[in-house]
Amino acid sequence: MTMPVVEVTDLSLAYRRTRHRVSSLKQVAIDSIKRKMAYEQFFALSGVSFTLERGEVLAVIGRNGAGKSTLLKTLARVLPPTKGRVIVRGHVAPMIELGAGFNPELTGAENVILYGSLLGRSPKEMVSRLGEIGEWADLIEHLDIPLRAYSSGMVARLAFATATDVTPDLLLIDEILSVGDADFREKSAARTASMISGGAAVVLVTHELETVRKLATRVIYLDHGKPVAAGAPDLVIDRYLADLHH
Amino acid sequence: MTVSSADDVYDSSIKEVPVIGTIKAIYKRHGLLKLLVARDLTVRYKRSVIGIWWSLLNPLISSAVLYYVFNTVFKARMTGSTSFAPYLLSGMLISTFFNQGLTMAADAVAGGAGVLTKVYVPPPIFALSATISTAVNFFMGLIPLTIVVYASRQSLTLRAPAVLIVVLCMVLLTTGLGLLLSVIYIRFDDSRSLVQLILLLLTYMTPIFYPISVLGPHTRAVIELNPLTSFLNVFRDMFGRNAVATLGDWLYMSGTSVVLFLLGLYFFNRMWPKTVAML
Repeated sequence: MTMPVVEVTDLSLAYRRTRHRVSSLKQVAIDSIKRKMAYEQFFALSGVSFTLERGEVLAVIGRNGAGKSTLLKTLARVLPPTKGRVIVRGHVAPMIELGAGFNPELTGAENVILYGSLLGRSPKEMVSRLGEIGEWADLIEHLDIPLRAYSSGMVARLAFATATDVTPDLLLIDEILSVGDADFREKSAARTASMISGGAAVVLVTHELETVRKLATRVIYLDHGKPVAAGAPDLVIDRYLADLHH
Repeated sequence: MTVSSADDVYDSSIKEVPVIGTIKAIYKRHGLLKLLVARDLTVRYKRSVIGIWWSLLNPLISSAVLYYVFNTVFKARMTGSTSFAPYLLSGMLISTFFNQGLTMAADAVAGGAGVLTKVYVPPPIFALSATISTAVNFFMGLIPLTIVVYASRQSLTLRAPAVLIVVLCMVLLTTGLGLLLSVIYIRFDDSRSLVQLILLLLTYMTPIFYPISVLGPHTRAVIELNPLTSFLNVFRDMFGRNAVATLGDWLYMSGTSVVLFLLGLYFFNRMWPKTVAML
């Protein structure tokens, strides 16, 4: 029996935040003297449940601030749940903002190894994948020069090639990335599509509803952290659109 | 390409054992730790003409200036076989190790936000890599110190290899305090200048350029509460015998380091989930 890749049960995530965001010690000192520190519980997610099997593509839709990215962060193990339970089995690969772990002073090769290791793969494995990643990004001759000599397009290509080099058990996507020139965009779109259909469980957050209709096998619609509707893509999207136009 | 094993399961309902869980998690990613240390060292030195010596410029020049200013004042107060030049330089090296390790550890975690908000990496790994690369700087500083020791007609004692214990303690101390500091940095935008001020006061409360014998009994009692004073006694005892390290110094140095490391890690782990939500 194979266990589902993701099991989310009654997940809630609360932040305690001050009514006005306090970001200076001076403010804290003044407020605590005036006894003005008013906290409120703010639920970024509440009562979310779903399971996800290999091969399923779950799209999460909703307005800005509905908790979509927060849900990705709890699945990525960055934010622990306040209530409920999250189980993720296997290797998780986030398709994150390109180059978050890149350093301009290191060479392309050094960056690939470091970036891949930050994403949870072993440095040894990254060394052995170096050739293939450089090849795919069409940067094999530039791997030994520091990243600051790269154009922004080259950096994006290298980051994309590194992030998508692995077939994970769970793929987390916060808006599908498109990078580089027209040629590379086509190539990267094809690679993203093959990753999505490649057998991993996928959680996709996007505002592009056409993409959702095309790719998703299931959709959850979140509003203020609460699941409003879940199920077949067309039904949930229609519900969302109805709410939007209301 | 995919490796799924039993320990690749994340279950949020399993609470990690405080501290030990983190240490295990760091050990599991020791390959990444090595890469991060290599990155820190490469970034700092590779493209600088004088390379690794760059980091020593500050303690060396400060020592030279302080030597010029205070040599006449304190020379007479140096007791027995102690000598002012190695006394001063060893003080500067320890003080630089502490200040640099602490600030770099805090900055490494605060600056790693882009990664830490998106993928799971045990955050203390960033602090630890910063303090380990600072330790490498410190080791480089032992070369000019040894030269100054012999130039002052002193020699290294047989205890000198135990400098490794001093380094280990300092790495623990600065990692623990750096982790606490990182949370404060992220939460309060104006905390940096306050922290710099506290560090400056702490520097003056450490017998770096003055002999502890010039102090009155009350001041001396306060200065001896500072763990860095024990670090200095132990360290100066090894390189030229410019202080006497008692068993108490050894115990105070290692005890405060281990305790502050554990406390720092414990509070960091408690505060981090709320802090990461602010990033």
